[in-house]
Amino acid sequence: MDPTRLYRFLRERLTGPRRDWTIAALALVLALLPARFLEAWTNDLSRIVSVPVVPIMHGGMALRDWIRPPREAFDPRAPEVIELEMSAERYRTLFEQSRLKTESLEREVGELKGIRGRITDPRVQLATASVVGVDPTRSGGLVRVNVGSRHGVHRDAPVIARGDVFAGVVAQEPGEFVSMVRPAARCSLAVRLYPADGATPDRAPAAYAGTVLKPADGGIWLGDLFASDIDVRVGDIARLADERLGDVSRGLRVGIVRRILPSEENPLVRRVEVEPIATLVGEPTVVVAILPPEGRP
Amino acid sequence: MRWSVFILATLVALAFDASLGTILRIGESQPRLVLCVVVFALLSAPRVHAMRIAFLAGLLTDLLAPVIRPDGTQLVVIGPWTLGFALGALAVVPLRSLLYHRNPISSAFATGVFAVLSAVVFVSVWVLRMLVLGDETPSWWPGTNAGEVVRQAKSALASGALAVPAIWVLERTRGVWGFSTAKRVIPAVSREMP
Repeated sequence: MDPTRLYRFLRERLTGPRRDWTIAALALVLALLPARFLEAWTNDLSRIVSVPVVPIMHGGMALRDWIRPPREAFDPRAPEVIELEMSAERYRTLFEQSRLKTESLEREVGELKGIRGRITDPRVQLATASVVGVDPTRSGGLVRVNVGSRHGVHRDAPVIARGDVFAGVVAQEPGEFVSMVRPAARCSLAVRLYPADGATPDRAPAAYAGTVLKPADGGIWLGDLFASDIDVRVGDIARLADERLGDVSRGLRVGIVRRILPSEENPLVRRVEVEPIATLVGEPTVVVAILPPEGRP
Repeated sequence: MRWSVFILATLVALAFDASLGTILRIGESQPRLVLCVVVFALLSAPRVHAMRIAFLAGLLTDLLAPVIRPDGTQLVVIGPWTLGFALGALAVVPLRSLLYHRNPISSAFATGVFAVLSAVVFVSVWVLRMLVLGDETPSWWPGTNAGEVVRQAKSALASGALAVPAIWVLERTRGVWGFSTAKRVIPAVSREMP
Protein backbone atom coordinates (compact mmCIF):
# COMPACT_ATOMS: atom_id res chain seq x y z
CA MET A 1 0.00 0.00 0.00
CA ASP A 2 1.33 3.40 -0.93
CA PRO A 3 1.79 5.43 2.25
CA THR A 4 1.12 8.68 0.46
CA ARG A 5 -2.23 7.45 -0.80
CA LEU A 6 -3.11 6.10 2.66
CA TYR A 7 -2.29 9.45 4.25
CA ARG A 8 -4.33 11.29 1.64
CA PHE A 9 -7.21 8.86 2.16
CA LEU A 10 -7.16 9.30 5.92
CA ARG A 11 -6.87 13.07 5.62
CA GLU A 12 -9.86 13.25 3.33
CA ARG A 13 -12.09 10.78 5.15
CA LEU A 14 -11.16 11.45 8.77
CA THR A 15 -12.36 14.96 9.46
CA GLY A 16 -14.40 16.55 12.20
CA PRO A 17 -16.16 14.23 14.69
CA ARG A 18 -15.18 11.14 12.75
CA ARG A 19 -11.52 11.90 13.42
CA ASP A 20 -12.19 12.46 17.12
CA TRP A 21 -14.03 9.18 17.46
CA THR A 22 -11.27 7.37 15.60
CA ILE A 23 -8.70 8.78 18.01
CA ALA A 24 -10.88 7.79 20.94
CA ALA A 25 -11.25 4.26 19.61
CA LEU A 26 -7.51 4.06 19.08
CA ALA A 27 -6.93 5.26 22.63
CA LEU A 28 -9.34 2.62 23.95
CA VAL A 29 -7.54 -0.09 22.02
CA LEU A 30 -4.20 1.11 23.36
CA ALA A 31 -5.60 1.26 26.88
CA LEU A 32 -6.64 -2.37 26.68
CA LEU A 33 -3.51 -3.75 25.09
CA PRO A 34 -1.59 -6.27 27.19
CA ALA A 35 1.57 -5.06 28.82
CA ARG A 36 3.84 -7.07 26.52
CA PHE A 37 2.62 -5.02 23.55
CA LEU A 38 3.04 -1.70 25.34
CA GLU A 39 6.28 -1.92 27.28
CA ALA A 40 8.29 -2.26 24.07
CA TRP A 41 7.57 1.31 22.95
CA THR A 42 5.49 3.28 25.51
CA ASN A 43 8.28 3.38 28.07
CA ASP A 44 10.66 4.82 25.46
CA LEU A 45 8.06 7.34 24.36
CA SER A 46 7.57 8.34 27.98
CA ARG A 47 11.29 8.93 28.38
CA ILE A 48 11.37 11.11 25.28
CA VAL A 49 8.43 13.21 26.48
CA SER A 50 9.94 13.58 29.91
CA VAL A 51 13.13 15.15 28.51
CA PRO A 52 11.75 18.71 28.34
CA VAL A 53 9.74 18.22 31.54
CA VAL A 54 12.51 17.03 33.83
CA PRO A 55 14.41 20.37 34.03
CA ILE A 56 11.17 22.12 34.94
CA MET A 57 10.45 19.45 37.53
CA HIS A 58 13.93 19.88 38.92
CA GLY A 59 13.37 23.60 39.32
CA GLY A 60 9.98 22.95 40.88
CA MET A 61 11.44 20.52 43.40
CA ALA A 62 14.17 23.00 44.33
CA LEU A 63 11.51 25.66 44.83
CA ARG A 64 9.42 23.24 46.87
CA ASP A 65 12.39 22.39 49.09
CA TRP A 66 13.03 26.10 49.53
CA ILE A 67 9.43 26.77 50.49
CA ARG A 68 9.06 23.68 52.67
CA PRO A 69 12.47 22.27 53.56
CA PRO A 70 12.53 18.49 53.91
CA ARG A 71 13.44 17.05 57.26
CA GLU A 72 16.70 15.74 55.84
CA ALA A 73 17.75 19.35 55.20
CA PHE A 74 17.71 20.01 58.92
CA ASP A 75 20.96 21.74 59.83
CA PRO A 76 21.89 21.06 63.47
CA ARG A 77 24.49 23.84 63.36
CA ALA A 78 22.07 26.56 62.35
CA PRO A 79 21.94 29.39 64.93
CA GLU A 80 18.20 29.05 65.45
CA VAL A 81 18.60 25.31 66.05
CA ILE A 82 21.34 25.92 68.59
CA GLU A 83 19.20 28.57 70.28
CA LEU A 84 16.27 26.16 70.42
CA GLU A 85 18.43 23.41 71.88
CA MET A 86 19.78 25.79 74.51
CA SER A 87 16.25 26.89 75.38
CA ALA A 88 15.15 23.28 75.65
CA GLU A 89 18.10 22.53 77.93
CA ARG A 90 17.34 25.58 80.06
CA TYR A 91 13.72 24.64 80.48
CA ARG A 92 14.67 21.04 81.19
CA THR A 93 16.92 22.29 83.99
CA LEU A 94 14.17 24.52 85.36
CA PHE A 95 11.76 21.62 85.24
CA GLU A 96 14.20 19.38 87.10
CA GLN A 97 14.79 22.15 89.64
CA SER A 98 11.05 22.48 90.18
CA ARG A 99 10.72 18.73 90.55
CA LEU A 100 13.45 18.63 93.19
CA LYS A 101 11.89 21.59 94.98
CA THR A 102 8.54 19.84 94.96
CA GLU A 103 10.10 16.69 96.37
CA SER A 104 11.83 18.71 99.06
CA LEU A 105 8.61 20.48 100.01
CA GLU A 106 6.69 17.22 100.09
CA ARG A 107 9.35 15.75 102.35
CA GLU A 108 9.17 18.77 104.65
CA VAL A 109 5.40 18.57 104.81
CA GLY A 110 5.68 14.89 105.63
CA GLU A 111 8.16 15.60 108.40
CA LEU A 112 6.07 18.39 109.84
CA LYS A 113 2.97 16.20 109.83
CA GLY A 114 4.90 13.39 111.48
CA ILE A 115 6.24 15.65 114.21
CA ARG A 116 2.97 17.47 114.71
CA GLY A 117 1.26 14.16 115.17
CA ARG A 118 3.40 13.28 118.16
CA ILE A 119 3.22 16.68 119.89
CA THR A 120 0.53 16.99 122.50
CA ASP A 121 1.26 20.57 123.45
CA PRO A 122 -0.32 22.89 120.86
CA ARG A 123 1.92 25.75 121.96
CA VAL A 124 4.97 24.08 120.46
CA GLN A 125 5.95 25.72 117.17
CA LEU A 126 7.84 24.00 114.39
CA ALA A 127 10.32 25.78 112.14
CA THR A 128 11.78 24.19 109.06
CA ALA A 129 15.45 24.93 108.53
CA SER A 130 18.13 24.11 106.05
CA VAL A 131 21.60 23.06 107.02
CA VAL A 132 23.71 25.92 105.72
CA GLY A 133 27.13 25.13 107.14
CA VAL A 134 29.21 22.54 108.93
CA ASP A 135 32.40 22.70 110.92
CA PRO A 136 35.11 21.92 108.41
CA THR A 137 37.79 21.43 111.06
CA ARG A 138 36.32 18.38 112.73
CA SER A 139 33.90 15.60 112.09
CA GLY A 140 30.74 15.83 114.14
CA GLY A 141 31.28 19.49 114.92
CA LEU A 142 28.67 22.21 115.23
CA VAL A 143 26.25 22.64 112.37
CA ARG A 144 24.72 25.91 111.22
CA VAL A 145 21.01 26.09 110.34
CA ASN A 146 19.24 29.07 108.83
CA VAL A 147 16.73 29.85 111.56
CA GLY A 148 17.39 32.04 114.57
CA SER A 149 15.84 34.07 117.30
CA ARG A 150 13.72 35.97 114.79
CA HIS A 151 11.96 32.67 114.15
CA GLY A 152 11.60 31.99 117.88
CA VAL A 153 14.46 29.52 118.17
CA HIS A 154 15.91 29.25 121.65
CA ARG A 155 18.83 27.53 123.33
CA ASP A 156 18.46 23.75 123.79
CA ALA A 157 15.63 23.58 121.27
CA PRO A 158 15.52 20.04 119.89
CA VAL A 159 16.32 19.57 116.23
CA ILE A 160 14.48 16.77 114.47
CA ALA A 161 15.27 15.10 111.15
CA ARG A 162 13.22 12.75 108.95
CA GLY A 163 10.14 13.32 111.06
CA ASP A 164 11.11 11.25 114.11
CA VAL A 165 14.90 11.19 114.43
CA PHE A 166 16.56 13.30 117.07
CA ALA A 167 19.35 15.17 115.28
CA GLY A 168 20.68 17.56 117.94
CA VAL A 169 19.99 20.61 120.03
CA VAL A 170 20.56 24.30 119.55
CA ALA A 171 23.93 24.74 121.17
CA GLN A 172 23.96 28.33 122.42
CA GLU A 173 21.99 31.51 122.19
CA PRO A 174 20.93 31.65 118.53
CA GLY A 175 21.67 34.52 116.23
CA GLU A 176 19.03 36.57 114.54
CA PHE A 177 18.77 34.30 111.56
CA VAL A 178 21.29 31.51 112.17
CA SER A 179 21.66 28.97 114.94
CA MET A 180 24.43 26.58 115.86
CA VAL A 181 23.29 23.03 116.46
CA ARG A 182 25.16 20.44 118.45
CA PRO A 183 24.73 17.11 116.71
CA ALA A 184 23.04 14.36 118.69
CA ALA A 185 26.20 12.27 118.53
CA ARG A 186 27.92 14.91 120.68
CA CYS A 187 25.20 14.91 123.34
CA SER A 188 24.74 12.71 126.39
CA LEU A 189 21.28 11.30 126.08
CA ALA A 190 19.03 9.24 128.30
CA VAL A 191 17.39 6.61 126.14
CA ARG A 192 15.42 3.43 126.27
CA LEU A 193 16.13 0.51 123.99
CA TYR A 194 13.16 -0.86 122.14
CA PRO A 195 13.01 -3.93 119.91
CA ALA A 196 13.49 -3.23 116.21
CA ASP A 197 10.12 -4.77 115.39
CA GLY A 198 8.32 -2.28 117.62
CA ALA A 199 7.25 -1.90 121.20
CA THR A 200 4.46 -3.89 122.73
CA PRO A 201 1.54 -1.52 123.28
CA ASP A 202 0.54 -2.82 126.70
CA ARG A 203 4.07 -2.71 128.04
CA ALA A 204 5.13 0.37 130.00
CA PRO A 205 8.21 2.30 128.77
CA ALA A 206 9.90 1.63 132.10
CA ALA A 207 9.80 -2.04 131.28
CA TYR A 208 12.38 -1.52 128.55
CA ALA A 209 16.07 -1.23 129.25
CA GLY A 210 17.25 2.31 129.88
CA THR A 211 20.70 3.81 129.75
CA VAL A 212 22.56 7.04 129.29
CA LEU A 213 24.43 7.24 126.03
CA LYS A 214 27.71 9.08 126.12
CA PRO A 215 29.54 10.29 123.06
CA ALA A 216 32.49 8.16 122.10
CA ASP A 217 35.17 8.27 119.51
CA GLY A 218 34.02 7.52 115.98
CA GLY A 219 30.69 9.33 116.19
CA ILE A 220 28.97 6.68 118.24
CA TRP A 221 27.57 6.41 121.75
CA LEU A 222 28.42 4.04 124.52
CA GLY A 223 26.03 3.24 127.31
CA ASP A 224 26.13 0.94 130.33
CA LEU A 225 23.35 -1.49 131.10
CA PHE A 226 23.28 -2.52 134.70
CA ALA A 227 22.29 -6.00 135.76
CA SER A 228 18.91 -6.53 134.34
CA ASP A 229 16.83 -9.36 133.16
CA ILE A 230 15.59 -7.27 130.26
CA ASP A 231 16.74 -8.69 127.00
CA VAL A 232 18.70 -6.33 124.74
CA ARG A 233 19.69 -7.30 121.22
CA VAL A 234 21.76 -5.92 118.41
CA GLY A 235 19.51 -3.88 116.15
CA ASP A 236 17.35 -2.51 118.95
CA ILE A 237 16.27 1.07 118.53
CA ALA A 238 17.38 3.69 121.05
CA ARG A 239 14.63 6.22 121.68
CA LEU A 240 14.94 9.39 123.73
CA ALA A 241 13.74 9.36 127.29
CA ASP A 242 15.49 12.50 128.42
CA GLU A 243 13.56 14.89 130.61
CA ARG A 244 15.95 17.74 129.79
CA LEU A 245 14.79 17.89 126.19
CA GLY A 246 11.12 18.27 126.90
CA ASP A 247 8.08 16.30 125.90
CA VAL A 248 8.56 17.00 122.23
CA SER A 249 11.68 14.88 122.07
CA ARG A 250 10.40 11.97 124.07
CA GLY A 251 10.33 8.82 122.01
CA LEU A 252 12.31 10.17 119.10
CA ARG A 253 14.63 7.69 117.50
CA VAL A 254 18.32 8.28 118.21
CA GLY A 255 20.32 5.30 117.12
CA ILE A 256 20.61 1.57 116.58
CA VAL A 257 22.39 -0.87 118.88
CA ARG A 258 25.35 -2.22 116.97
CA ARG A 259 27.23 -4.17 119.64
CA ILE A 260 26.70 -5.41 123.18
CA LEU A 261 29.92 -5.92 125.10
CA PRO A 262 30.75 -6.98 128.65
CA SER A 263 32.12 -4.23 130.80
CA GLU A 264 35.76 -4.58 131.74
CA GLU A 265 35.34 -2.79 135.07
CA ASN A 266 32.18 -4.44 136.27
CA PRO A 267 31.15 -7.93 135.27
CA LEU A 268 27.57 -7.14 136.17
CA VAL A 269 27.38 -4.40 133.59
CA ARG A 270 26.95 -4.72 129.84
CA ARG A 271 28.10 -1.99 127.51
CA VAL A 272 26.07 -1.15 124.40
CA GLU A 273 27.44 0.58 121.38
CA VAL A 274 24.85 2.71 119.55
CA GLU A 275 25.25 4.16 116.09
CA PRO A 276 23.34 7.36 115.20
CA ILE A 277 20.52 6.96 112.69
CA ALA A 278 21.01 10.41 111.16
CA THR A 279 23.78 12.92 111.08
CA LEU A 280 23.00 16.58 110.63
CA VAL A 281 25.61 16.86 107.90
CA GLY A 282 23.70 14.44 105.74
CA GLU A 283 20.30 16.09 106.15
CA PRO A 284 19.32 18.91 103.77
CA THR A 285 16.48 20.11 105.97
CA VAL A 286 15.58 19.69 109.61
CA VAL A 287 12.80 20.85 111.90
CA VAL A 288 13.46 22.89 115.01
CA ALA A 289 10.87 22.50 117.74
CA ILE A 290 10.29 25.82 119.47
CA LEU A 291 9.05 25.20 122.97
CA PRO A 292 6.94 27.63 124.96
CA PRO A 293 8.97 29.57 127.56
CA GLU A 294 7.54 27.68 130.49
CA GLY A 295 8.31 24.33 128.90
CA ARG A 296 11.89 25.04 128.02
CA PRO A 297 14.55 23.00 129.82
CA MET B 1 -4.85 29.00 18.91
CA ARG B 2 -1.13 28.48 19.17
CA TRP B 3 -0.57 24.75 19.77
CA SER B 4 3.03 25.30 20.81
CA VAL B 5 1.89 27.49 23.69
CA PHE B 6 -0.67 24.91 24.73
CA ILE B 7 1.85 22.06 24.67
CA LEU B 8 4.37 24.13 26.59
CA ALA B 9 1.78 25.16 29.16
CA THR B 10 0.65 21.55 29.56
CA LEU B 11 4.20 20.32 30.06
CA VAL B 12 4.88 23.07 32.60
CA ALA B 13 1.67 22.22 34.40
CA LEU B 14 2.55 18.53 34.47
CA ALA B 15 5.99 19.41 35.82
CA PHE B 16 4.36 21.65 38.43
CA ASP B 17 2.04 18.85 39.50
CA ALA B 18 4.98 16.46 39.84
CA SER B 19 7.13 18.83 41.87
CA LEU B 20 6.00 22.11 43.38
CA GLY B 21 2.35 21.04 43.41
CA THR B 22 3.06 18.57 46.20
CA ILE B 23 3.16 21.41 48.73
CA LEU B 24 -0.55 21.96 48.00
CA ARG B 25 -1.37 18.38 48.94
CA ILE B 26 -3.87 17.97 51.74
CA GLY B 27 -3.82 14.41 52.99
CA GLU B 28 -3.87 12.26 49.87
CA SER B 29 -5.62 14.75 47.61
CA GLN B 30 -3.45 16.94 45.48
CA PRO B 31 -4.83 19.59 43.13
CA ARG B 32 -3.64 19.31 39.52
CA LEU B 33 -2.70 22.36 37.55
CA VAL B 34 -2.86 20.48 34.25
CA LEU B 35 -6.62 20.20 34.63
CA CYS B 36 -6.87 23.96 35.03
CA VAL B 37 -4.78 24.52 31.89
CA VAL B 38 -6.87 22.10 29.86
CA VAL B 39 -10.16 23.60 31.05
CA PHE B 40 -8.87 27.10 30.35
CA ALA B 41 -8.01 26.04 26.82
CA LEU B 42 -11.31 24.22 26.36
CA LEU B 43 -13.27 27.28 27.44
CA SER B 44 -11.30 29.64 25.24
CA ALA B 45 -10.27 27.74 22.11
CA PRO B 46 -12.52 27.13 19.11
CA ARG B 47 -14.88 24.20 19.61
CA VAL B 48 -13.34 22.26 16.74
CA HIS B 49 -10.10 22.05 18.69
CA ALA B 50 -11.65 20.92 21.96
CA MET B 51 -11.26 17.19 21.52
CA ARG B 52 -7.76 17.51 20.19
CA ILE B 53 -6.81 19.62 23.19
CA ALA B 54 -8.18 16.94 25.50
CA PHE B 55 -6.54 14.07 23.63
CA LEU B 56 -3.17 15.77 23.56
CA ALA B 57 -3.21 16.75 27.22
CA GLY B 58 -4.45 13.27 28.20
CA LEU B 59 -1.75 11.64 26.12
CA LEU B 60 0.97 13.72 27.79
CA THR B 61 -0.50 12.91 31.20
CA ASP B 62 -0.50 9.20 30.42
CA LEU B 63 3.05 9.32 29.15
CA LEU B 64 4.31 11.07 32.27
CA ALA B 65 2.49 8.78 34.70
CA PRO B 66 4.05 5.33 34.47
CA VAL B 67 2.62 2.54 36.60
CA ILE B 68 4.74 0.49 38.97
CA ARG B 69 3.89 -3.15 38.49
CA PRO B 70 4.10 -5.74 41.29
CA ASP B 71 7.33 -7.13 39.84
CA GLY B 72 8.97 -3.70 40.18
CA THR B 73 9.02 -2.81 36.50
CA GLN B 74 7.27 0.25 35.12
CA LEU B 75 4.64 0.41 32.42
CA VAL B 76 3.20 3.35 30.55
CA VAL B 77 -0.37 2.73 29.49
CA ILE B 78 -1.71 5.16 26.93
CA GLY B 79 -5.42 5.66 27.18
CA PRO B 80 -6.86 6.05 30.68
CA TRP B 81 -6.27 9.78 31.00
CA THR B 82 -6.58 10.35 27.24
CA LEU B 83 -10.10 8.97 27.26
CA GLY B 84 -10.83 10.59 30.62
CA PHE B 85 -9.88 14.04 29.37
CA ALA B 86 -11.96 13.42 26.24
CA LEU B 87 -15.07 12.72 28.29
CA GLY B 88 -14.29 15.73 30.45
CA ALA B 89 -14.05 17.86 27.32
CA LEU B 90 -17.37 16.52 26.06
CA ALA B 91 -18.93 17.73 29.30
CA VAL B 92 -17.14 21.07 29.56
CA VAL B 93 -17.54 22.28 25.98
CA PRO B 94 -21.36 22.52 26.22
CA LEU B 95 -20.88 24.48 29.44
CA ARG B 96 -19.22 27.26 27.48
CA SER B 97 -22.60 28.67 26.56
CA LEU B 98 -23.81 28.42 30.16
CA LEU B 99 -20.77 29.79 31.96
CA TYR B 100 -19.12 33.13 31.77
CA HIS B 101 -15.85 31.48 30.98
CA ARG B 102 -13.64 34.43 31.87
CA ASN B 103 -14.86 34.27 35.42
CA PRO B 104 -12.46 32.20 37.59
CA ILE B 105 -15.33 30.92 39.73
CA SER B 106 -17.21 29.45 36.79
CA SER B 107 -13.94 28.09 35.46
CA ALA B 108 -13.35 26.43 38.81
CA PHE B 109 -16.75 24.76 38.54
CA ALA B 110 -15.91 23.57 35.03
CA THR B 111 -12.56 22.27 36.29
CA GLY B 112 -14.30 20.31 39.03
CA VAL B 113 -16.68 18.73 36.54
CA PHE B 114 -13.85 17.99 34.14
CA ALA B 115 -11.74 16.42 36.91
CA VAL B 116 -14.55 14.22 38.21
CA LEU B 117 -15.50 12.89 34.81
CA SER B 118 -11.93 12.29 33.70
CA ALA B 119 -11.24 10.48 36.99
CA VAL B 120 -14.32 8.31 36.47
CA VAL B 121 -13.10 7.27 33.04
CA PHE B 122 -9.56 6.77 34.33
CA VAL B 123 -10.74 4.36 37.04
CA SER B 124 -13.19 2.69 34.66
CA VAL B 125 -10.56 2.05 32.00
CA TRP B 126 -8.25 0.49 34.56
CA VAL B 127 -11.05 -1.67 35.95
CA LEU B 128 -11.92 -2.72 32.42
CA ARG B 129 -8.29 -3.48 31.78
CA MET B 130 -8.17 -5.64 34.87
CA LEU B 131 -11.29 -7.49 33.80
CA VAL B 132 -10.14 -8.00 30.22
CA LEU B 133 -6.49 -8.82 30.85
CA GLY B 134 -6.84 -10.48 34.22
CA ASP B 135 -3.30 -10.15 35.46
CA GLU B 136 -2.98 -6.38 35.09
CA THR B 137 -2.68 -4.18 38.14
CA PRO B 138 -3.89 -0.58 38.27
CA SER B 139 -1.80 2.42 39.16
CA TRP B 140 -3.35 2.57 42.62
CA TRP B 141 -2.30 -1.00 43.45
CA PRO B 142 -2.30 -2.20 46.25
CA GLY B 143 -5.15 0.21 47.10
CA THR B 144 -8.77 -0.57 46.36
CA ASN B 145 -10.84 0.72 43.45
CA ALA B 146 -13.30 2.42 45.78
CA GLY B 147 -10.45 4.06 47.65
CA GLU B 148 -9.08 5.39 44.36
CA VAL B 149 -12.49 6.79 43.41
CA VAL B 150 -12.68 8.64 46.72
CA ARG B 151 -9.13 9.90 46.36
CA GLN B 152 -9.77 11.12 42.83
CA ALA B 153 -12.97 12.85 43.95
CA LYS B 154 -11.05 14.70 46.66
CA SER B 155 -8.39 15.60 44.13
CA ALA B 156 -11.10 16.91 41.79
CA LEU B 157 -12.41 19.19 44.54
CA ALA B 158 -8.90 20.41 45.25
CA SER B 159 -8.32 21.03 41.54
CA GLY B 160 -11.50 23.08 41.44
CA ALA B 161 -10.19 25.20 44.29
CA LEU B 162 -6.82 25.61 42.59
CA ALA B 163 -8.53 26.62 39.37
CA VAL B 164 -9.71 29.93 40.87
CA PRO B 165 -6.24 31.50 41.10
CA ALA B 166 -4.76 29.42 38.27
CA ILE B 167 -7.31 30.45 35.67
CA TRP B 168 -7.19 34.04 36.87
CA VAL B 169 -3.43 33.96 36.13
CA LEU B 170 -3.98 32.19 32.81
CA GLU B 171 -6.50 34.86 31.82
CA ARG B 172 -3.67 37.41 32.14
CA THR B 173 -1.75 35.43 29.48
CA ARG B 174 -4.69 35.19 27.06
CA GLY B 175 -2.90 37.23 24.42
CA VAL B 176 -0.04 34.72 24.19
CA TRP B 177 -2.37 31.82 23.45
CA GLY B 178 -3.62 33.29 20.19
CA PHE B 179 -7.25 32.39 20.71
CA SER B 180 -9.43 33.58 17.86
CA THR B 181 -11.37 36.72 18.75
CA ALA B 182 -13.14 37.09 15.41
CA LYS B 183 -16.84 37.84 15.70
CA ARG B 184 -19.48 36.77 13.27
CA VAL B 185 -20.57 39.79 11.23
CA ILE B 186 -24.02 39.95 9.67
CA PRO B 187 -23.60 41.88 6.42
CA ALA B 188 -27.17 43.11 6.30
CA VAL B 189 -26.97 44.62 9.75
CA SER B 190 -23.64 46.26 9.06
CA ARG B 191 -25.00 47.90 5.93
CA GLU B 192 -27.80 49.46 7.93
CA MET B 193 -25.41 51.07 10.36
CA PRO B 194 -24.94 54.82 9.75
